[in-house]
Amino acid sequence: MFTGCGVVSGQNQYLSRDAVRPHPGLDVNRAIQMENGVASGTCSVYQDQTYCNTGQPAVVNNSSNLLKPTTVQVPPPAIKLGQEGFKKVCRTEEDSPCPFPGLASGVLEMRVKEGSKIRNLMGFAMARMQGEKGVSGGSVSSDGLRQVVFTGSGRAVTKTITCAEIMKRKVGSLHQLTKLRYKVVKEVWESSEGETSEMTVHRTVPSISILLSKDPLDPQEPGYQPPETLSALWEEKEGVGSGVSQTATCKRPLGPLGPLPYSSFHQCKRVCLGEGVSVLPPH
Amino acid sequence: MTESRNPGISSISQTAQAHPESCSPAVEMDPVEYTLRKRLPRKLPKRRNDVYVNMKTDFRAQLARCQKLLEGGGHREICVHGLGLAINRAINIALQLQASSQGVLQLAANTSTVELVDDLEPEDPDEAAEPMTRTRNNSAIHIKVFYPDPQ
Repeated sequence: MFTGCGVVSGQNQYLSRDAVRPHPGLDVNRAIQMENGVASGTCSVYQDQTYCNTGQPAVVNNSSNLLKPTTVQVPPPAIKLGQEGFKKVCRTEEDSPCPFPGLASGVLEMRVKEGSKIRNLMGFAMARMQGEKGVSGGSVSSDGLRQVVFTGSGRAVTKTITCAEIMKRKVGSLHQLTKLRYKVVKEVWESSEGETSEMTVHRTVPSISILLSKDPLDPQEPGYQPPETLSALWEEKEGVGSGVSQTATCKRPLGPLGPLPYSSFHQCKRVCLGEGVSVLPPH
Repeated sequence: MTESRNPGISSISQTAQAHPESCSPAVEMDPVEYTLRKRLPRKLPKRRNDVYVNMKTDFRAQLARCQKLLEGGGHREICVHGLGLAINRAINIALQLQASSQGVLQLAANTSTVELVDDLEPEDPDEAAEPMTRTRNNSAIHIKVFYPDPQ
């Protein structure tokens, strides 16, 4: 009892508990459990952190105290852990090859995450694309980068598209290439019992990569979007790869309702069908 | 005007009468309660092979519908559209279709911005406030899922 108090005195929460505990006999029992407690305590760093958050007494944090009756506190965490079963320990995205083969290595890649703020992303990306003049003595970057890639996965996909759309609108005349794929995310889950049992889960989350380029891109590539087209997809309908850009350029003057892509679709489509052949020659 | 709106502050507003010029803009700025009604997105093109993904219908049902179009419906390509939150689901459907076709199907994704209109209707009809509209943008994705042409 005395030793217990002495050791725990650093944590005043536990002091009161120890003082209340009437039976020294309990100590013996707890001391036996201690071994388990130590084992789980040393191998599970993340568990401890979560317990701090939940307001549970996080005894295992103080590894120096473990040899002493502080392990009394282990049972409540164990109960708590049992409710959840497994805890996610880490999450790593597996490296996947660049979706745009043949891209220069120095291209700015914006990795959009769920919590990224669009103003931060855009503030940075726009500055790089437009090029800051006279930042450091000037004359270094005259008109900024030529290309930028936005990537995001899972719940960040929408934000990624929004960023690309904003940049297209602000910079103007950007060629776009969009690629979709699954990204494998490796998650390591640790058993709550602390019996060193780990589970590795491979999850696949949809991810998107959008390449925006001031230089022309290959119009044959699936997912290519020429600049300033508001309804490129429907024009592509006619020929899978061929003449995408031509049809697109033909389309633009036809759509008087610039910002209303959907309303002009039928018209576009009809024209496309009607002059399916004559669309290509004007080029 | 001020008194009628805030009877509780009538005593203060009497003192405020002394300089009505500075007071009146504040009255106009007074935030009237509005109900926000989201209009449906603009009219969309609808062909047989257009699939508009939403978040209300069951995911498997929407996936099955796409599969049916591609396999049973005899379409060589379909268009999967998603707006806002449904972008994720649209991508998922497209990637699932591709995976289940053992990589035969190809995807061509395009993105766009859709202008949406919200109606702001004043809560209290007695208020002098007029109904307003507010436009905002939302992102959309259009994924063409197609069998590449044999060449």
